[in-house]
Amino acid sequence: MAAFILRKVFYTLLVLAGVVLVTFFIRPPGDPARVLLGQRADSASVSALRQQLGLDKPLAYQIGTYMTNLGRGDMGRSIATNRPVAETILERLPATALLALTSIAIATILGIILGVIAAWRPNTWVDTLTMSTSLLGISLPAFVVGLLLVLVFGVALEWFPISGYVDRGAEHLVLPMITLAIRPLSIIARVTRSSMLDVLGQDYVRTAKAKGLSDASVFVKHALRNALNPVVTTVSAWFAGLLAGTYFVEFIFNWPGIGLAAFSAIEKLDYPMIQGTVLFTAIIFVTVNTLADILYGFIDPKVRVS
Amino acid sequence: MSVHRVESPSRLAMRRLRKNTGAVIAMVVLGIMVVAALAAPWITPFDPTTQILEYSVKPAGFSGTILYKRNPADPQTPSIIAVSTWQLVGDTVHYQDPSGEHYSIARAGLVGSTSDDFVATPTFWLGTDRFGRDLFTRLVYGMRVSLSVGLISESIALLIGIFLGAIAGFYRGWVDDAIMWLVNVVWSFPTILLVVAFSVLLGKGYWQTFVAIGISSWVDIARIVRGQFFSIREQEYIEATRALGYGPMRTIFRHMLLNATGPIIVLSTAGFATAIIAEASLSFIGLGVQPPTASWGQMIKDGYGYIALGTNWGMTLFPSIAMAIGVLVLNVFGDGLRDAFDPKTSQR
Repeated sequence: MAAFILRKVFYTLLVLAGVVLVTFFIRPPGDPARVLLGQRADSASVSALRQQLGLDKPLAYQIGTYMTNLGRGDMGRSIATNRPVAETILERLPATALLALTSIAIATILGIILGVIAAWRPNTWVDTLTMSTSLLGISLPAFVVGLLLVLVFGVALEWFPISGYVDRGAEHLVLPMITLAIRPLSIIARVTRSSMLDVLGQDYVRTAKAKGLSDASVFVKHALRNALNPVVTTVSAWFAGLLAGTYFVEFIFNWPGIGLAAFSAIEKLDYPMIQGTVLFTAIIFVTVNTLADILYGFIDPKVRVS
Repeated sequence: MSVHRVESPSRLAMRRLRKNTGAVIAMVVLGIMVVAALAAPWITPFDPTTQILEYSVKPAGFSGTILYKRNPADPQTPSIIAVSTWQLVGDTVHYQDPSGEHYSIARAGLVGSTSDDFVATPTFWLGTDRFGRDLFTRLVYGMRVSLSVGLISESIALLIGIFLGAIAGFYRGWVDDAIMWLVNVVWSFPTILLVVAFSVLLGKGYWQTFVAIGISSWVDIARIVRGQFFSIREQEYIEATRALGYGPMRTIFRHMLLNATGPIIVLSTAGFATAIIAEASLSFIGLGVQPPTASWGQMIKDGYGYIALGTNWGMTLFPSIAMAIGVLVLNVFGDGLRDAFDPKTSQR
């Protein structure tokens, strides 16, 4: 087991090195200093900025510096605000975490419930309705869902505020949370349904039924428990998509998280900030996945061998 | 003597697909979209960049009178004057613009020979945007962008994904390790963030967007092709190609790849839909296809500012619906394909 974990961790570090390398190259095309200052800037200030950003050094040296700085937790300074990128990210982390965690929780709980309901009586109108709604949920990108929710529940019905953070009241969380949850919710509902149907077709479920156990007991105790494995995989895999989704949702609802910071950075081509936010998201994703892999190693011995 | 014909797996799949009502409907809708996108100049009343500022931000179903004025710079696209009333007196056309100001113009300055040629009262079926551009026209032209993005980006993704997946699955060993490392690195970034990153790197624009999406979306294809090759490699007919002395390229592309087409086609359909969403997302945040080229994401963003006012929600709603329909039919079609190629997974 220790060898398995060690191997996983080592490989993760190898992947992270690649991730950092890719991140390093996220910068405006050509000469970033020239792009940032505009075509009209004089060459003296361009070369001054180039020097300040370390762009005059050889590429290998720049990469080396970037990596050693990252090792110390230094993600560079934002060009727009001149504040350390890491500081901004940490400052905005709670808002993004609140949004992401409540959304994934709601998506998981509701998704499983809806999937189970659909699988309870497959091919009836309940099933069809749930599955077609979820297909729509998969087909709509987060920002479209968000705008439609704003239109209906914010502007037309005026049930919820359409912009702002929870410091002005918990109701500000509702629309962004639902917006972010819809896609994973739809997918979790579909995975749960098909996984339930798989399990329900197996012999031990038939045996349980033959023993005379009640439908509900077979459904929950025998089927659901075994059907949840692929659901767990889906949830952990979807966490990454969710993190990316927060970028758009935060922009639409003016939610002061990492995504909103990334957005204004993209508009200004503030590339250290863009690098920082993208890298942060990737690191979270890789870490979550490695932890999930290790967890599977504990649950399922087969995983450890391969 | 009768010849017993064996149906090929792909023909069998196509037959199963035809029996799937949802997939057939999706295919028809998709076909209509493709035809509409190709025929855009003939089915839309305006040029997508034609601005009639007097008629900006009008609701769906609005109709207004316009005069066509000769445009010496480009005789094919006449200039447009919005008018509320007009009158031909002798050789001069007197008109009133929508704000009530009176003007006149020489008849010879207008297009054509009769009043049928230079006056029109078009209906803006979906309304207009803030520059007075016809939303319907822009929607159809936006579809062109979306479908091209799907097609071109997915082709790029397929090219990279198939190539890397194939050589990883065929050679295994350190080649596989190296490619899988790359796959895992790229996979660590949520696709849309990677697309954003590449867009920053490549700059804004039409082709940059296609490339950024293409080089961000090959990972799933590479994984599937590699997995397929792992099992195909063990089959006897591959051993036969070795015995016959075929080179690896011939074996990979003529014998192994053809037997992996099913999953690749299914995955491409899903990738097509994802590419459309990615382009819209990029344009929504201001990267991606740049104005004045019409793009759904950009149209949605343009309309977004008006939502809070509670008016002219059509500017956001119509492109959203168009995109939802496009992605939905692609997903339904993709599901149908998956069921057709692999009946085992089909829903009971």
